[in-house]
Amino acid sequence: MLSELLTAEKIRFSSDSLTWRQAVTQVAEPLLAAGDITAGYVDAMIESIAAGGTYIHLGYGIALAHARPEAGAVRTSLSMLRLTEGPAPLLDLPEHAVDLYFCFAAVDATAHTTAMSSLARILSDTETREALRAAGSAAEVTTLIKRFEEDR
Amino acid sequence: MKFLAMCSTGLGSSFMVRMNIEDIVRELQLPDVSVEHCDISSAGPDSADVFFVAKDLEEAAAGLGDVVVLNSIIDKDELREAVKAAAVRHGAL
Repeated sequence: MLSELLTAEKIRFSSDSLTWRQAVTQVAEPLLAAGDITAGYVDAMIESIAAGGTYIHLGYGIALAHARPEAGAVRTSLSMLRLTEGPAPLLDLPEHAVDLYFCFAAVDATAHTTAMSSLARILSDTETREALRAAGSAAEVTTLIKRFEEDR
Repeated sequence: MKFLAMCSTGLGSSFMVRMNIEDIVRELQLPDVSVEHCDISSAGPDSADVFFVAKDLEEAAAGLGDVVVLNSIIDKDELREAVKAAAVRHGAL
């Protein structure tokens, strides 16, 4: 379940003006602190974006940063960083203005299917997506996710 | 008929697109459509009937055949229209 992965301590807000590299580093921080990923995983995400990986931009200013499991994923995990004072555009490109970063780590290609499918569903639901983007606290985010899961 | 969602790693966004395509296939009650996802480097022209990619992979996917390029991979309305159109092109709707 998404609500079990994206717990309150994995949801952060920042009012700083950040570069995309800083945003990726910050969104990964709770996972790094929990030992869910290694520092190498953070480097791999940044390298893959630097190499043209704007594909992590899902649309609507939302990006899902991730790397290959072997880059340093220890446990399947997910974190979120909302930039409240404007976007950190991927590769500094205005068309990739992202202000909601997710960081995802999967231990293998099959272990993460449940979490990914619920994240895909929640972000593809217009109403929930808008509410998520407008949320101002971790508590609000977790309430939204739980409500979405209960309705299913 | 086979739909294939692709991204660079075959893990994140392609899986999300696949989930959403599966929902839409159910919704439209399309018969005999299978949906899979993979990384773009392991796909060839014979891998599927219709390929779905995000805009950044448009160039990389050129030459695979029937390629659908999505502006946003979480825009279900856009995807629904794309799936419908693909089903019509291939005589499934």
